[in-house]
Amino acid sequence: MERMTPLLEVRDLVLRFGGVTALDGVSFDVGAGELFAIIGPNGAGKTSIFNCLNGVYRPQQGTIALGGTRLSGKSPAAIAGLGVARTFQNLGLFEHLSLIDNLMLGRHHLMSTGMVSGMLWWGRAKREELAHREAVESIIELLELEPYRRMPAGLLPYGVAKRAELGRALAMEPTLLLLDEPVAGMNLEETEDMARYLTEVRRRLPLTMILVEHDMRLVMDLATRVLALDFGVVIASGPPAQVQHDPQVIEAYLGGAA
Amino acid sequence: MAKPHRDLVRDYRQDLRLFGSPPARAGLVAMVAALALLPMVVQDDFWLSVLIYVGITAVGAIGLNLLTGYCGQISLGHAFFIGAGAYVTGWVGSDLPLYLWLPTAALVGGLLGAVIGPFALRLRGHYLAIVTLGLVFIGEHLWRNWRGLTGGNSGTSVDAQVSLGPIDFNRVELAGEVYSRNQGYFWLVWVLVAIVALLVKNLVRTRPGRALQAVRDRDQAAEVIGVRAGRYKIGAFVVSSAIASVAGALFGSYQQFVSPDEWNLLLSIQYIAIVIVGGLGTVFGSILGAIFVGALPALIDRFGDAIPGVRTSVGGEGFISVFALNQAIFGVLIVLFLVFEPRGLAGIWLRIKAYFKSWPFSY
Repeated sequence: MERMTPLLEVRDLVLRFGGVTALDGVSFDVGAGELFAIIGPNGAGKTSIFNCLNGVYRPQQGTIALGGTRLSGKSPAAIAGLGVARTFQNLGLFEHLSLIDNLMLGRHHLMSTGMVSGMLWWGRAKREELAHREAVESIIELLELEPYRRMPAGLLPYGVAKRAELGRALAMEPTLLLLDEPVAGMNLEETEDMARYLTEVRRRLPLTMILVEHDMRLVMDLATRVLALDFGVVIASGPPAQVQHDPQVIEAYLGGAA
Repeated sequence: MAKPHRDLVRDYRQDLRLFGSPPARAGLVAMVAALALLPMVVQDDFWLSVLIYVGITAVGAIGLNLLTGYCGQISLGHAFFIGAGAYVTGWVGSDLPLYLWLPTAALVGGLLGAVIGPFALRLRGHYLAIVTLGLVFIGEHLWRNWRGLTGGNSGTSVDAQVSLGPIDFNRVELAGEVYSRNQGYFWLVWVLVAIVALLVKNLVRTRPGRALQAVRDRDQAAEVIGVRAGRYKIGAFVVSSAIASVAGALFGSYQQFVSPDEWNLLLSIQYIAIVIVGGLGTVFGSILGAIFVGALPALIDRFGDAIPGVRTSVGGEGFISVFALNQAIFGVLIVLFLVFEPRGLAGIWLRIKAYFKSWPFSY
């Protein structure tokens, strides 16, 4: 896998907020089809990497390229159009919209109906709604969300909402999916459910995923490679088993030897 | 093979129907029948004029609800765009036929919205409210001083043609019967309410409308999934302004006379009250709110003598003028609904529907 040209190339990323350096020269590659995990203690810069990848933050230095196309400097909406989808740590669903509408919004960049043709409904707008509804329904089926179709996203149970957010990201038909703590706050059973869905998604769809997660068991089970961060610096990267036993990683998590 | 129950939705095409269930279709028929027959039953000019004003207000309220309820942008500048529509009609209404001056008013309103809309791009919530508040006062200055268009303080008469092919809404002839101007206007206005409601309903259930609501709920998440929030905020502002101008055009042409005093802050607040009372983010609620709140000023004006403490003439008895009472009622309604029924009349309506749907069970 590492012999192939990587799908995502991140080079020397530096991100500062005033005097605080959140990311300090982070570089990594992710190959097509990988499930790449980013781990690290709180505040290590994991979510900051995501925010740089999809254009919410503008890093001061460094480049990001997806399949040869430069992402750095583009707006979040433009990057979404290039096939980068993400889920949020603290849920980013549109709470007053139904689950169906949330998933349909994932397909926003694949659709073209504008204000005027939307108002008129007949013809193209209607055909487009129908076609994309079919696509959304297949995701609902994949993630077993059928009972919640009409429920406003704000009323969904927590575990279901997390799954719905995964569904919305999948509806975007991304080439790169960023998962920000998909099992945060879940109990063991819910975590295993989510792991099952993620495995199923990977089996069925040609996706590359980057996972930020604190649940080490999930990371070790699913990831093909792991990157460990501490204070914005890469301290280890490689296969899960190797990173897990890296002395620097153990020190970052548990503190230095007394 | 047994036939499936007729309510069962069997494909997505059925699922996307606006009036999909038998009760909804019955309701549609009832509304159309009421629209057609009401002016024949209610021939009293006072009540017809109240219903016409309510209809015009409903059009404007649907426009504001698109911006405030669906896109989450609070605007106090609605009165400005309504006024603009009325003056445009005064200007071109006598030269152009109905099917041209009404779209012209919409176009001018939309253009004004497009000019002011970019301010909405950078601002949200209270800040946008303050900027649009300024718009009302700029407008008032403009209406008072641009004499050529508005007639200045004394106002201007609006003489708009209201015939569509063989139908003259000032004097509708139907099957040998002749109907009055008020009856004709009732049909004209409420058909337009239906058209605007349908257009906006379609907008909010398709891609652009979902994008507006996504921007309202979480603008950053919307950007991340590919919705260009700025573009949709401006779009909502443009469409909302265009609809407000249509309401203003109807207002001017029906009233045949407009003066700058009518497009003040109170009018904007009345519209805010309507969308809050009716239900933010619902098209049907805008119409309910217009019926409930929009009729109040006319009713208070008419029945002010019967309400204790209301002063109906300058220097008369009573401690509160009709104008002040209106202001107070709008304020009280906004507060009461926000506290006790944030989903508005449309929310109450949904609860009633849900109750009968699950009857005789309580949930």
